[in-house]
Amino acid sequence: MLCVAFGYVDPILGIPRPVWNPLQWDGGAFSFVLDGLFSRGGSFQRVFLRTIAYVFVAIALSLAIAYPVAYYVARFGGRWKGLLLAGLVAPFFISYLMRMLAWINLLQDEGWVNTALRRVGLVDQPVNWLDGRASSVVIGLVYGYVPFMILPLYAFLDRIDAALIEAARDLGASPFQAFRMVTLPLSIPAILSGVVIIALPMFGDYYTPDLLSGSPNTSMIGNQINLYIRGGQQVPVGAALVIVLMAFLTLLMSWYLVATARAQRALEVPE
Amino acid sequence: MTWHPRERYGRREFLGRTAVGALALSGAGGLLSACGGNDTSGKSTTLQLARPDKPVTLSLFDDNPAIASGLEPEQGPLRIYNWVDYVDKPTIKKWAKQYGVSFEITTFATMDEAIAKISSGAASFDLFFPTPDRLERMVLAKQLQPLNLDYIPNLQNVWASLQDPFYDKGSQYTVPYTTYTTGIGYRADKVAKRPDEYANPYDIFFDTANKGKTWLLDDGREAPSAMLLKNGITDLNTEKAEDIELAKKELLAMIGAVNVKVSTEDYTKLPEGSAHVHQAWSGSMVAAPYYLPKGTGPEVLGYWFPTDGAGPIGSDTMGVLKGAKNPVLAHLLIDHLLSEAGALSNFAFVGYQPPLTALSAQRLVDEEYIPKNLASAVVRESDFDNGFQELELSPDGQKLWQNAWAEFKAGI
Repeated sequence: MLCVAFGYVDPILGIPRPVWNPLQWDGGAFSFVLDGLFSRGGSFQRVFLRTIAYVFVAIALSLAIAYPVAYYVARFGGRWKGLLLAGLVAPFFISYLMRMLAWINLLQDEGWVNTALRRVGLVDQPVNWLDGRASSVVIGLVYGYVPFMILPLYAFLDRIDAALIEAARDLGASPFQAFRMVTLPLSIPAILSGVVIIALPMFGDYYTPDLLSGSPNTSMIGNQINLYIRGGQQVPVGAALVIVLMAFLTLLMSWYLVATARAQRALEVPE
Repeated sequence: MTWHPRERYGRREFLGRTAVGALALSGAGGLLSACGGNDTSGKSTTLQLARPDKPVTLSLFDDNPAIASGLEPEQGPLRIYNWVDYVDKPTIKKWAKQYGVSFEITTFATMDEAIAKISSGAASFDLFFPTPDRLERMVLAKQLQPLNLDYIPNLQNVWASLQDPFYDKGSQYTVPYTTYTTGIGYRADKVAKRPDEYANPYDIFFDTANKGKTWLLDDGREAPSAMLLKNGITDLNTEKAEDIELAKKELLAMIGAVNVKVSTEDYTKLPEGSAHVHQAWSGSMVAAPYYLPKGTGPEVLGYWFPTDGAGPIGSDTMGVLKGAKNPVLAHLLIDHLLSEAGALSNFAFVGYQPPLTALSAQRLVDEEYIPKNLASAVVRESDFDNGFQELELSPDGQKLWQNAWAEFKAGI
């Protein structure tokens, strides 16, 4: 990817030509990208900030949904755990594309969501969910990736020794206090894992904004990458955007590794 | 970069393109030198950028001759490389029976993908469907072989102006396949005013009465071109920074006015009601009635294109790839698709109109290939006299257009 970003495009066929020798690299594409990122009002800047906002909100919502679901299945699922997990995961054997297309049907003017809202009297007229609003894109991101947060959370919560929670209760902690002081700290590594697992693909997502919105005002950085990579004379700009995104995600991953290590150390019992 | 009506991109395309972009090899190794002058034979190896007022005779090369006349058809299978759903399989099957051959259709989603695959030599195809704006480049790269028109007598069925087009004088490498216009599709039952009821029809895109239901084609040339025409600029291949900047500003203003959205699913968004106004290709409007909900007739759809033909217009072509293993069969199929029977049969599925003199606008409507209320979607030969074609740009021009489009796509 670096060699494409610092390379050029065949002027006849429009095919990117990577340059393998660093001494011959052309930094024009990177300059263009960095200018768009750091200059006032730069187009890459507003898309990047929008992407970060969407992903963070989607992660928060995913966690708010995934944690209670995983907790319930792990602590109270009993002999129905397998079935409950299968029920949660089964829809996601269908491709991401098909599931997003299904959301379009649900959210259309005469779709099931509007039908339900009108039946219960919450709205008189159909809501135009597909009019290019950010909430539709965020809901799509949450729906698309929430099972990838449920599964690691469930796996970790299921392994928490029940005796620890029992001990907390025996020492006078209320159920909420036991959760706050025992279960939640123990599940921090799982939360961090789930966040990383869904954050990485969310940052690169371009299909969800296209399908559920189509408005330029909801485009994410993946859409800009797709635009430049698709063809034309500026494929290196697309490659440079990919590299910048990778660098940003590497920073997040570094934070994740440090945070996980700290959380693990905090949980270790001193000898 | 000029996009094509059949480019309906998807996730797989993005992942594949990233791999292609990173791994594209030097299948066109010496071509950089072809950018800058003539080869030793004196033939032009520079891009001439064909225009209606600057017709181009494409170079012929000694090491890339046409096939000889009078050859017997090969055994097949004939390998066709085409856009998704852009040729009717039953039409080809019926033709193939006469020669006792089989055929395979491989599809691509974008012309960039197709050319990258052809350049890599990863697969061998016989018949290809290039767009005129990529033709010159493919010829310089010797990826297309010259046609032997002895095998294609049905070329005479084609509109005279496209038998000898400006982008390929003498039809040396290609013959026409389909034609299309770009206009304004709309739901006649939803909009308060039709495009022709505005002082400037393109103002419909800014009408706040259609807020949230206004769409443009997700195309970095088509959408800005509409804004150029809105402002009376008819050179849709302009490389003037101020023209492109004007188009960009109009598009950004449209976001603020109506929260405009972009898609290439004009043929479904209008019928399903997601769009009340959608910049649209004529072929999509011909196909759109098939996507209407049950019980909804085609009269709810409308298509506006300037009555004098002074709007965006385009055509696609057919050609035979160099190295084709079945060039005679490829020629024969081209000839069949230019016959009246073959063209009509294919058109019934594809929706994009073949430029045959026998297929008049009246006939297509009378025989119900196109509903009466969508008669404006029929392309007439005279539309090419007054229409404006989006053609190849220089590398710098491409960058200007692409950057403007990217800024629009970034939102406000």
